[in-house]
Amino acid sequence: MSALAQQWSESLRSATHPQVLPWLDALRLRAVEQLTKHGLPHRKDEDWKYTPLRVLEQLGPAVATGVRVENLTPAPEPELPAALIDSADCVIRIHDGALAGTEGGDQPGVSVLSLSEGLEQHESLLRKHIESVDINGSAQAFASLNTASLDQGLVIHVKEQADAGTVLLRWTLSGTADPSIHNFRVFLLLGEGSRMQLVEQYESADHGGSALNVVSHFDLAREAVVDHLLLQNESENTILMSSTYIEQAQGSRYNYSGFDLGGGLVRHELKTVMAGSGAHAAFGGAFVLDNSRHVDNHISVEHAGTACSSDQFFRGVLGGRSRGVFNGKALIRPGADKSSVRQSNANLLLSPLAQIDTKPELEIYADEVEASHGATVGQLDETAIFYLRSRGLSETEAKRLLVGAFCRSVTDRLENQELAGRIAELIDQAMPSYESRGQVL
Amino acid sequence: MMLEIKNLHATVGGKAILKGLDLTIEAGEIHAIMGPNGAGKSTLGNVISGREGYEVTQGEVLFNGNNLLELEPEERACEGIFLAFQYPVEIPGVNNTYFLRAALNAQRKYRGEPELDSMQFLKLVREKLEILHISDDLLRRSVNEGFSGGEKKRNEIFQMAVLEPSLAILDETDSGLDIDALRLVARGVNRLRSEDRAMIVITHYQRLLDHIVPDRVHVLADGKIVASGDADLALKLEEQGYAWLDRGGIQSLDIDLKA
Repeated sequence: MSALAQQWSESLRSATHPQVLPWLDALRLRAVEQLTKHGLPHRKDEDWKYTPLRVLEQLGPAVATGVRVENLTPAPEPELPAALIDSADCVIRIHDGALAGTEGGDQPGVSVLSLSEGLEQHESLLRKHIESVDINGSAQAFASLNTASLDQGLVIHVKEQADAGTVLLRWTLSGTADPSIHNFRVFLLLGEGSRMQLVEQYESADHGGSALNVVSHFDLAREAVVDHLLLQNESENTILMSSTYIEQAQGSRYNYSGFDLGGGLVRHELKTVMAGSGAHAAFGGAFVLDNSRHVDNHISVEHAGTACSSDQFFRGVLGGRSRGVFNGKALIRPGADKSSVRQSNANLLLSPLAQIDTKPELEIYADEVEASHGATVGQLDETAIFYLRSRGLSETEAKRLLVGAFCRSVTDRLENQELAGRIAELIDQAMPSYESRGQVL
Repeated sequence: MMLEIKNLHATVGGKAILKGLDLTIEAGEIHAIMGPNGAGKSTLGNVISGREGYEVTQGEVLFNGNNLLELEPEERACEGIFLAFQYPVEIPGVNNTYFLRAALNAQRKYRGEPELDSMQFLKLVREKLEILHISDDLLRRSVNEGFSGGEKKRNEIFQMAVLEPSLAILDETDSGLDIDALRLVARGVNRLRSEDRAMIVITHYQRLLDHIVPDRVHVLADGKIVASGDADLALKLEEQGYAWLDRGGIQSLDIDLKA
C-alpha cells in the first residue's frame, strides 16, 4: 500500500502550483512528508478497519498534478446524465478535479470564486480552515494527499443575511487508460443568518476507472442554515474519498442527506463541531448497493456548546457482494449540557454475501443529556412479499416496493419535494438484483 | 368446472395437514368451508394461492382446466385467484393506491390488456369505494398501516373489488370483527357476487353465513372434507358443534347429508 503513497509523494515533491504563498508551500511540503512517512490507511487504523483499500491499490492511480487553468466561465456541456435539480440558482461543474464552468450564482451577497481568487480575498479565513485539518498519521492519508496537492478549489462566500438559493455542484470524471486520483477543495463560507441549499451530484457519463479525493469546509456563522444533499451514482470503477469539516456557531443549522446508489469504493467522512449553543446538525442518508460496491459513512458530531441537538439517521440496503459501513460517533463535551443526540441505522441484507458493519458510538461527559441510539440488520419480510405477490406483483416488483418503502423514511425527511421525488426514483432504479433463497446469481 | 381439487395432500414444515382433500367449484357458486381449529382450512387457502412453505405432496388442483400448482403466486393472481388474508399485512411506506394500481396493471399486462393511467385508475377506484361505502381516506394511507381490524378486512374486500378475481378465497374474514363491521364486510362481499365469480368462504362461525348465504357448506376435519351440504348444514353445526367428529363421525350427526 505504501508503494502507492511513495509514488504519489514523488510526483507531488516536484509539482508546481499556481498559488505562491509561503505558508501554503510549507504546509504542502509537510503534508508530502506525512504521506511519505505513514503511507495509506491500513487495517490497524481503527477508523479504517471495515474499509480495506485493495481496490485502490489494484487501480493504482497516479496523482494528478501540474498547473491547470481554473475555468470559471461557462464551458460547453459534454454528454452528462440529467441534472438532479432543474431549478438551481447556480450550477458549478468540476471535471477531473478542476473547475470546468459555472452558471448563475450572481445573487446579491453571493460570490463564487476559484481557489486563487478565494485566497486573495479571504486568505486568513481559508488559511485557518486549511491548517485545521489533521494530516498526521496513516488514517489521515487522504487529508495529507489533498493538502499536499492543494491548488484546485472552489470558494463560495455568502454575506450575512444573504440567501444563496440552490447551488448545484456537478462532479464528473473522464476515463483514461491511465487512471488518476484527482484532488479538490471546497470552501463554503456562510455569514450570519445566511442560507444555502447545496446539492452535490457525483455522476459521470460512462468512464474508465478514476479516483476523486475531495475535502470540503463549511463555516457556518451564527444562525446560518445549510441544507446539504449529496447524490453519488457513479460506475463501479470509481473511487471517491470525501471528507467534510463543518464548524457551527451559535444557532446555526446544518442538514446533510447523502444518497449512495453506485460507486466502487466510496467513503464519506463528515465531522461537525458545534461550538456555539443551540446549534443543530442532522446527518441522514441511504445507501442502496449491489455487485461488489463498498460505501462507508463515517460521521462524527461534537457537542461543545450547550443545548445543541444532533441526529444521525441512515438506512442501508445491500445486495450482491456489496458492503456497507456506518460509523456514527457523537461526543458530548464537558459543559455541553442539555444536549440532545439521536442515532439510528437500520439495514436490509438482500443477499447472503452482502455485508454491513454498523457502529454507533456515544461519549457523554455533560449533564442533562437526552440520548438515543439503535442499529438493526434484517431481511425483507417474507409475509409482506407474499402479500404483494398474491395481488399480482412479481417477486422483483414486490421487493422493489418494500425496499423503496424502507428508504422512504430518509427521502421523507427532505423538505424539497422536487429532490425527494427525484431521489426516490433513482433509488427505485438502483434496486439491487435479488438473490432469493440463498442463491447468488 | 372452475376449480377441481383432487386428492390433495399438503405438508407444512414436514407435518401433514391436508390428507386427501377433494373439492369442485363451479363459476357463480359460493362454498363455505367450516371445521375445527387445525383442520387445515387456512392451509387450503394458502396452497391454492401458492404461499411458500406449503408443500403439495400428492394430488392436483386444476383451475379452469389448467394445473394451478406449477404457477407462481403472482401468476395465480393474474389468472384470477384472490386470497383475502386472515391477517392482512401492514406495509409501512407503501401507499395503498400506488400498490393497488401496480397490482391491477400487472394483472392487466398479463392478460394483454392496456394498463390504466393514474386518472383512469382513480376513477375506477372511486366507483368501487362508493359501492363498498368506504372513505377515500384509505387511498392516501400506507397499506394496512395503523388500520383497525375492521378496516383491514374492508381493505381486503376493496382490493378484491378493484382486482375483480374469478375465484376469491376469504380466509376467516369475519374473525375479529364486531357485528357492525361484519355486516359492512358481508355487504361488500355480496355486492361482488356474480355469475362468473366463485368464492370460498373459510369461517369458524355460522354468523357470517347469515349475511353471505353459501350454495354449499363443507366440513373440513383432519385434512379432508368429511361432510357437505347446503346452507342448513352450517346451522346444524352451530347447534351441535364439532364433537360428533370424535363420537364416531358423520353418522352421529343429526343431519341429512346431501351427497
